[in-house]
Amino acid sequence: MAQIIDVDGDAAGAAAEGPSGGGAGGADERVAARSPLRQALGRPELGALIGAIALFVFFSLTADAFLRTSSFATVLYSSSTFGIMAVAVALLMIGGEFDLSAGVMVTSASLVAALVSYQLTLNLWVGVAISLVVTLGIGFLNGLLYVKTGLPSFIITLGTFFMLRGLNLGVTKATTGDVATNSVADMDGFEQAKTVFAAQPEIFGVNIYITVFWWLAFIVVATWLLLRTRVGNWIFAVGGAASSARAVGVPVTRTKIGLFMGVAFAAWFSGMHLLFAFPSVQSGEGVGNEFGYIICAVIGGCLLTGGYGSAIGAAIGAFIYGMANKGIVYAGWNPDWFYFFLGVLLLIATIVNLVVRRRAETAT
Amino acid sequence: MTDDVDATAPLIKLTDVGKRYGNVIALRGVSLSVAGGEVTCVLGDNGAGKSTLIKIVSGVHRPDEGSFEVGGEPVSFASPRDALSRGIATVYQDLAVVPLMPVWRNFFLGSERRRGFGRIDVGFMRRTTKSELLEMGIDLRDVDQPIGTLSGGERQCVAIARAVYFGAKVLILDEPTAALGVKQAGVVLRYIVQARERGLGVIFITHNPHHAYPVGDRFLILNRGRSVGYHDKRDITRDQLTALMAGGTELEQLAHELETVSAGAARELTEEAKDLGVTPTDD
Amino acid sequence: MRRFHHQKRRGTLAAVAVTGLLALGTLSACSSSGGKEAEEQQSQAAAGGAAAGPRLKIAMITHSGAGDTFWDIVQKGARAAAAKDNVEFLYSADPEGGKQAQLVQAAIDQKVDGIIVTLAKPDALRDVVARAVRAKIPVVTINSGAEESAEFGALVHFGQDETIAGRAAGEQLNKVGAKKAICVIHEQGNVGLEARCAGAQKTFAGQMENLNVQGTNMPQVKSSVTAKLQADKSVDGVLALNADVALTTVDAAKDAGSGAKIATFDMNKQLIAALKDGRIQFAIDQQPYLQGYEAVDELWLYKRNGNILGGGQPVSTGPAIVDKNTAASIEQFADAGTR
Repeated sequence: MAQIIDVDGDAAGAAAEGPSGGGAGGADERVAARSPLRQALGRPELGALIGAIALFVFFSLTADAFLRTSSFATVLYSSSTFGIMAVAVALLMIGGEFDLSAGVMVTSASLVAALVSYQLTLNLWVGVAISLVVTLGIGFLNGLLYVKTGLPSFIITLGTFFMLRGLNLGVTKATTGDVATNSVADMDGFEQAKTVFAAQPEIFGVNIYITVFWWLAFIVVATWLLLRTRVGNWIFAVGGAASSARAVGVPVTRTKIGLFMGVAFAAWFSGMHLLFAFPSVQSGEGVGNEFGYIICAVIGGCLLTGGYGSAIGAAIGAFIYGMANKGIVYAGWNPDWFYFFLGVLLLIATIVNLVVRRRAETAT
Repeated sequence: MTDDVDATAPLIKLTDVGKRYGNVIALRGVSLSVAGGEVTCVLGDNGAGKSTLIKIVSGVHRPDEGSFEVGGEPVSFASPRDALSRGIATVYQDLAVVPLMPVWRNFFLGSERRRGFGRIDVGFMRRTTKSELLEMGIDLRDVDQPIGTLSGGERQCVAIARAVYFGAKVLILDEPTAALGVKQAGVVLRYIVQARERGLGVIFITHNPHHAYPVGDRFLILNRGRSVGYHDKRDITRDQLTALMAGGTELEQLAHELETVSAGAARELTEEAKDLGVTPTDD
Repeated sequence: MRRFHHQKRRGTLAAVAVTGLLALGTLSACSSSGGKEAEEQQSQAAAGGAAAGPRLKIAMITHSGAGDTFWDIVQKGARAAAAKDNVEFLYSADPEGGKQAQLVQAAIDQKVDGIIVTLAKPDALRDVVARAVRAKIPVVTINSGAEESAEFGALVHFGQDETIAGRAAGEQLNKVGAKKAICVIHEQGNVGLEARCAGAQKTFAGQMENLNVQGTNMPQVKSSVTAKLQADKSVDGVLALNADVALTTVDAAKDAGSGAKIATFDMNKQLIAALKDGRIQFAIDQQPYLQGYEAVDELWLYKRNGNILGGGQPVSTGPAIVDKNTAASIEQFADAGTR
């Protein structure tokens, strides 16, 4: 028994050691002092929020037109079209995966709705519904391929990216004989659907695109899902350590497929906006946007390696992206430098995230 | 030698258990029991058959020979899930935690407490995590910190506490101290004692007699798939345990072989074997 | 078709699902019943009367990206001429210079009877065009490369000099009374687009600046143009460089509360409507159909009769200016997707 007491003494000693003992042990002034900072650093959206504020102040000072409410509405619109996708992509990235087909999937969604409705002279809502089924099917396929093959999602979705690109053009041209769809603006259900997906209600004398409000809804739902539901727990777990998650009974396969379908749902939504805001859809559109979504998510604190990030962060990332995008125009700068600017932002965001992750992972 | 314990109806009892993989005999004639409030240590070098033994108890494999009783009832597990439903939880070395997730989320991962509409009861889970860990003697200021910020020993303890909370009656700990420093190992050992005091049966697998002896009530020493000793604590000293572990008889043999090469080295080895109490003190 | 309507009105989920499946099935089944088939029938009918002699094989290799309306019309022109001239027409494209050169090489390897190529990136194509000439395959350049065409050994160039077209746009902008204009570049770093803006800048009496937008993302095009018009209320003219951007610009101007006059390059059927009702002032059409048609026809003429058009000079297919008054006259062609 003497040995046990001996061990106990040792253990207490270790616990009181402070940093090496983590949070265990009695009152330690270092723990107390570190706590608020650590908590702040633990929030994935912190870096992005600081960046957004800085950028906002910066453009407010340098661009006269930037602070007008109408200008702000334009910035928000630009941000929202990226933001809706970025929120879903962020969830997927937290779950440890990529979807490179997300950009062209938006175009696919709107093409399906436009082609089906126009070619068969159906009410547009039917096209909208079919598009939802088809797009979710694409997302399901992405997820299924990933789960069944075990290949990196980067490769799988690169494949579907090219396939969709080809299908978008091939099917459109085979059906319409043209590379764009016919305008659906005079068809049944257009005005109704436009009210849902592309209305511009006037608020405080400014026309704000409805996508801004949908964007907020996406953020709220995604955040709630992540932080307050079982599924959210699973998303973090499958991205952070899939094998550990499986060991404690998390349905890894279903969670991953669900995440791909989440991106597909957002793509469908964005596609519907595209269709009802710009009634004729170009089949070649959407290429390159997938990286925009990933950039927003990364600026917003998502780790490329998964397991960490937030929907709010991705939304802030999209806001930064939109602000940078339009701020340069408001400031009247040479837009040739836009991508340089964006690249700098991305690097800074990634470095901040790296620091956060190191703090979180190597505190032993 | 285990008569007094048998009266309390052992949670787990293996009798003359054997397991073979094809022609290879991995385990033969091993007996072991653990009752509530007891720690049974399984010691042995690499390849001694420790992991085969764990796999039988945790339901991964079925024994080919012998009997396996849980609570006095013969069982035959088809999967680890079966074992889990009988209250046998295994804490593996890799722990099954997600480093970047908060402690409380890890604690409840896969068994989240819900409140309808798919919502999880965050307040309850935070409180429970904190109180369960406190009961194990870990006072976390902030259960929201990523579990990766905890030390290796503490992570072990969270895994143990999790198993206990979700109804484990028997804990199987697979080398929990192997990757830890001296102090961290001490922390883990303390929690093993704590689990025992809460009435759990613990099977503690280790190759370190210095870790096993202070916390164990009985010791099973394995060598090449066979039991080379099964002792109550009162029947064996720490030194004897160490010697058995180190393969005392083999040490003697080695001494004989070395005699032809270097008399000095052989003498030293013989002395050491004597000190450890392995050789019968007849000379 | 009527059956679908009927089912739809029942409004049950099942009906929608069934409709969906049928719709998709029908989609693939009727994929060949569009305007394209009609056009091909037309072309074949034309071919019946003309072109006797051996069947020629002509390859066209452009720098087009996928799904570009403009290049679709070029192809339509080329296919019409091919059908008429009894030519087997092969089309391939890649926006990257090196890959486009590989495609030209592939055509040489196939021993085609003629090659039509765009010289958007002349340096990347210099060697491979020389190889074609050495292999005694006649080469015609279209669209871009007026300056290099003769030097590389091509028979003739069909296209619109972008600078000249730009100058025409600048003059037209003066006529509609714009004083301060922006030129919307939808593909950053594209030489042809930059040349259009530069040309317009030369003849435009007021002040003009460029605005880069991401052409593959319409919401971003729209918000960027809106932002520009909000930032500078004195802008009263916008020059778009393709039809889709122009139509989006109309919406953007409305959003920004700007009365800026909008003009554009290129043509499509939606644009005609906008030109007719005055939402868009004018369009500079470089007649892509002509570029495809004339190139194939020229190669046929050269093979059959040794003819060369243009007397060693580039042959202009534009600028053709379409405005409110002339829009109606080309409406039916735009509807058919050939303007």
